[in-house]
Amino acid sequence: MKTLDIIGWFAVLTTGALLIYGTAEMPNWGDPNSPPSTHVSPRYIEKADEETHTPNMVTAVLADYRGYDTMGETTVIFTAGVSCMMLLRRRQGK
Amino acid sequence: MDFIIAKYNYWIYIILMMIGFYAMIVKNNLAKKVVGMNIFQTALILLFISTGVKTGGATVPIVIGDAHGHAIPGTLHAIDYINPLPHVLMLTAIVVMVATFGVALALLIMIFKRYKTIEEDEILEIRRKEAFT
Repeated sequence: MKTLDIIGWFAVLTTGALLIYGTAEMPNWGDPNSPPSTHVSPRYIEKADEETHTPNMVTAVLADYRGYDTMGETTVIFTAGVSCMMLLRRRQGK
Repeated sequence: MDFIIAKYNYWIYIILMMIGFYAMIVKNNLAKKVVGMNIFQTALILLFISTGVKTGGATVPIVIGDAHGHAIPGTLHAIDYINPLPHVLMLTAIVVMVATFGVALALLIMIFKRYKTIEEDEILEIRRKEAFT
């Protein structure tokens, strides 16, 4: 059991060190010119209200541009609910 | 100092993620493993949310318009609103997280009913005994 703990600590610390090393290349916090904020998101911010007539851009993207994705999401929740029901159902005779 | 201010949010999420990772791979109790997975996913969600931040007067992504809530044409600029896309995508991720958490807890209940314990080594011991008999 003790060796497994040491291997676990080793894996955690190595992964953490590698990830922290990788943050040197990440965009700065709050930078308006960072890659996530420059390529597609300005188009959504500028056109969402005009195209969907929804002032809330998050809602416009969730329910209008990505409407099929949201429909699939309800399938995920439905599947999870059904599997919980099937697992926790009281079985006949046992 | 500027480097620390620009990157410390990532370091916080990495520490959080490693706490979850440690719980997932080292802990012996299956319930603690599930909670570790939840912490891991939360760290990822925080990482993506933090990429949407824009400093310099940007506000929440809801259009500031006239009295009726309609946007005044030509006044929508990307610099004035924080990035809405990470928020939307992480909403989807939260849904998946809740679904996996619920199914994992249901499975844990069934494991406890079957083996009367959720300690991993005790379950393995019981299974080994069962295989020999």
